[in-house]
Amino acid sequence: MIPSWMKVMDEAVALPPSRRLKGSSAFVKKTLDGILTFFQEAMISEGYAKRDGLLQGLDARAKLISILALVFAVSITRDLAVLAVVYGLILLLAYMSRIEIAFFIKRVWLFIPLFAGVIAVPILFNVFLPGDPLIHIANLGEGATLGPFHLPESIYITVQGAKTTTIFTLRVATAVSAVVLLFLTTPQALLFKSLRSLGVPKVYVLTTSMAYRYIFLFMEMIRDLHIAKRSRSIKSLSVLDEQRWVGGRIGYMLIKSLDLSEKVHMAMVSRGFNGDVVILHDYRLRMRDYMATAGFLSLSLALTLISFDYIRI
Amino acid sequence: MSTIFELHDVSYTYLARFPALSDINLKIERGEQVCLIGTNGSGKSTLLSLLDALIYPTSGSFHAFGRLVEEEVFDSLSDDAFREEFRRKVAFVFQNSDVQLFSSTVLEEIAFGPLQLGMREEDVRGRSEELMEMMGIAKLSSRAPHTLSGGEKKKVSIASALSTNPQVLLLDEPTAGLDPRTQLWLIELIQELGDAGKTIIVATHDLETVEHISQRAIVMGEDHRIKADRTASEVIQDRDLLLSANLIHEHAHRHGRRLHTHIHPHPGHHPENEH
Repeated sequence: MIPSWMKVMDEAVALPPSRRLKGSSAFVKKTLDGILTFFQEAMISEGYAKRDGLLQGLDARAKLISILALVFAVSITRDLAVLAVVYGLILLLAYMSRIEIAFFIKRVWLFIPLFAGVIAVPILFNVFLPGDPLIHIANLGEGATLGPFHLPESIYITVQGAKTTTIFTLRVATAVSAVVLLFLTTPQALLFKSLRSLGVPKVYVLTTSMAYRYIFLFMEMIRDLHIAKRSRSIKSLSVLDEQRWVGGRIGYMLIKSLDLSEKVHMAMVSRGFNGDVVILHDYRLRMRDYMATAGFLSLSLALTLISFDYIRI
Repeated sequence: MSTIFELHDVSYTYLARFPALSDINLKIERGEQVCLIGTNGSGKSTLLSLLDALIYPTSGSFHAFGRLVEEEVFDSLSDDAFREEFRRKVAFVFQNSDVQLFSSTVLEEIAFGPLQLGMREEDVRGRSEELMEMMGIAKLSSRAPHTLSGGEKKKVSIASALSTNPQVLLLDEPTAGLDPRTQLWLIELIQELGDAGKTIIVATHDLETVEHISQRAIVMGEDHRIKADRTASEVIQDRDLLLSANLIHEHAHRHGRRLHTHIHPHPGHHPENEH
């Protein structure tokens, strides 16, 4: 059955020793590994939602409304001390929800440079925001330019810039901490459903939770595609060829996802779906949920009043 | 016996170019257990989708429970009593469990069907819990589908199809990819459901299970037509028929140093009488 060339077996040959290359051009692998690690962590962190802690014991809707109110209040707070107190409070809540503080802080601060750093860092310098010098960086002399832009004589970090940056960063950190805390202490399924309490239509809630569910499936498919490719790669490809491969796979995944969406729709129709969806209600609001929500709303209101100078501290 | 499904000269063409079913004439009676056997691409899955009114004949007619199934009625957004009744009575277990498990948790997955069909929430919860207990998946209740193993996914898929207590169960390659123990469990479940009077139609190319789960076997040819429609044991013993449908082939086989040739089914299977 098999052609004659397939019957030829390679003789053992002495191969030169392998060279260990410094650095790697396997950017596809690195990117995929990074994304996969993120999703695996998301899956592992579901474990926190099952722990017997303070926030885990609250209703998802109560938590969602409380945290959103707090995020709003934090985003308009300008006082460094107040922000520090709220951040401390969130750390305390994390501790009482049986989340390891070191893990929690690391998880939040990994994102901060990404979101806040890019925006906040330029404000430090007198190039963008004039102010009183704090740390001197460089002396450029008179008439210095950068392309069409005129630069000041000397570049320094300003007192005002440092303060603004610190407040901005702490504000982002506090808001992100609150949201991460919500995500960690609430099972994803309930979190999506609790959006209903904010008046989000059922069909959007269903679509969001389905999208979240299928992201995992697609991630596994993409990983398998990449592993299959690597298992058949004899020589490293050039960056351009790697990019071409990635482009091709993106197209393939699009076709796959269209095909899957059609089949999923069929599976829904087969079980009686006809445009309007009915979902289970997993909620039970108890006294402690009302109390927690009232507490968070009061705190958020107080923060708002402080930031508008109605309350002076 | 009353007729559940009746197909007259049904053909189905994908994208107006690729034929998937040609001139299918078929009657399924209440309480029958039928296997659809055929090679990959012979049209088994398409036929099941058509029987579940998910796709509609390109030509010919499809009657279910004595009424004509029309795209205009089944694909419309407006409520229709027949369509609702049809969805209540007919359930489909897809080959790819990931297609069927679209909810966030196992409990929600099983509750989806009855909820859409208007059952009260307390009843749905009670029924879902009982069903999970029966299938041995009670501990998975709050798990997300992507965290389940292949066998667990299949069990949840079947539970989610059974939760509406359907009269008719359509299963597409249910034993594919399952370990031997789960395969046996599934065969026993299908037998028990059959004994309870359910009409069961299974698409498969696993010839070993055909006689265990059905009395009747329909062989689909590679030309997308029905090649034979007889009792399961007749079909399984008809070597020429299975050869012509490409379900078995001549197979070179080695016993120690002795090489001999014999008939072999697709995939790996060793019926004693052929040795």
